[in-house]
Amino acid sequence: MRVEQIIFYALAAMVLGSALLVVTIRNLVRSIFLFFVALISLSGLYIFASADFIAIAQIVIYVGGVLVLMLFAFLLSNKELLNNLSRPVNRLINISSLPGFLLASAFLFVLISAILNTEISWLGYVQQNHFQPGDNTVHNIGISIMTRYLLPFEAVSMFLMMALIGAAHLARKGQKI
Amino acid sequence: MNFYLTYILVATCLFAFTALFALMAVYAERKLSAFMQDRLGPMEVGSYGTLQAFADILKLLQKEFIIPAAADRVLFFTAPVLIYIAVYLGFAALPWAPGLIPSSLNLGVFYIFAIISVETVGILMAGWGSNNKYALLGSMRSVAQIISYEIPAGIAVISAVMISQSLNLQEVTLSQGILSTGAVNFLGLIDVKNIGGFLAWNIFQAPHLIIAYIIYFIASLAECNRAPFDIPEAESELVAGFHVEYSGMRFAFIFLAEYSMMFLVGMLGVILFLGGWNSPLPNVGSLELATWTTSSAWGVFWVMVKTMLVVATQIWIRWTLPRFRVDQLMSFCWKVLTPLAFLCMLISGVWRLTMM
Repeated sequence: MRVEQIIFYALAAMVLGSALLVVTIRNLVRSIFLFFVALISLSGLYIFASADFIAIAQIVIYVGGVLVLMLFAFLLSNKELLNNLSRPVNRLINISSLPGFLLASAFLFVLISAILNTEISWLGYVQQNHFQPGDNTVHNIGISIMTRYLLPFEAVSMFLMMALIGAAHLARKGQKI
Repeated sequence: MNFYLTYILVATCLFAFTALFALMAVYAERKLSAFMQDRLGPMEVGSYGTLQAFADILKLLQKEFIIPAAADRVLFFTAPVLIYIAVYLGFAALPWAPGLIPSSLNLGVFYIFAIISVETVGILMAGWGSNNKYALLGSMRSVAQIISYEIPAGIAVISAVMISQSLNLQEVTLSQGILSTGAVNFLGLIDVKNIGGFLAWNIFQAPHLIIAYIIYFIASLAECNRAPFDIPEAESELVAGFHVEYSGMRFAFIFLAEYSMMFLVGMLGVILFLGGWNSPLPNVGSLELATWTTSSAWGVFWVMVKTMLVVATQIWIRWTLPRFRVDQLMSFCWKVLTPLAFLCMLISGVWRLTMM
């Protein structure tokens, strides 16, 4: 086995193992830190797909932003509330896990149908067009954003602006009476 | 196989370098603080106390690891290593000399910013794992501060990257000296492509980058949790912040991470704004100082000298200024540094369109 394959399988095992532990472990803080392991290994897998920009953006956004926000929310909340949350559920099948079960099975159906409908002959087409490891992907991303995907890009920036204004409004001190 | 051995060797050299640098910086910090407070500093171990840092590390090595009874052991053990590794990984994308860079990434600047943000997770891990009120408060202050100050730092860096037109740190450095492939204009007007020296540095190519560098420098102090931004470890209120429960080797790791971080942010600033490994001496007529002092060995020398000066300034500021209050810290970041950084970015855009 080549070194690349060994690294790939190690990363994949880390993603799957830590993701499984995130949902099964009882200790909530540890599950958040395991989520961190899953995110980092996932960014390693992105590098294997020649998506280096996505890999780094994954670390910036999820590890630097979302994960820290989750930890903050966790550390600032009331301990009694967390004890209620971490109370173990007795039965495997109950009514509160029904929405999650439906969502998971729908997603599994999508995945399986995608795998079954994949044409192996497409893989040759994919291989002809893939990036070289040293390619500068940022240029391509920048050009694509400024030409083909300009409208979605502007829509996203408007959305972010709205979120920022909303956050500033919420964080303001209340009017003195 | 040699291919992989080179990588391991480079990584080991960088690790050894950070460890040695931390030892020297501890000694320098003690001596400089002593000088500023009109004391002598360490004098007993070795001549003028030069071996004091080695004595310290020997002491830390043989100390017991004390684990608080109520601590979360796994998190408590991993946190210092994670904090150090986050900083250490940042060194992978920093160029040391022409052609001498551990990994010439196309996304070097972005990568370093991403990897530094992993440190905050390590700090929160340490704060929570210690199961100590002061550690938790210190880690939360630290993370709030690091996240806030990443914004002006990032925007100041973007304004430099807009002038250099590359995220690859080696290309950014190349564009600031006599080895440049593009045009190099002092203040945007005088062509200094063959003169080089300090005239070709980014802050002199586009003078508004001086303000951007000052913003970056202030924000980098906050990211290292150093005075005047040391409220996370505020000895008088929080004992020692997030590392209050650590002892022995694990404390040494946190210390190592702090000093490596000082070097990392200092070196990143040097590369982006102060010419990186380019010589500060210009070519004057037949006296071709810049050409003579540009090579691999000189490159390492210049980048070390510049970064050491920046680190010395960080130490100088630590022992000169008092600590900020939390509200002052936040309003300074959001009401002064961030708008100024945005202004710098705007000027960079206009500069790029009109002057270059």
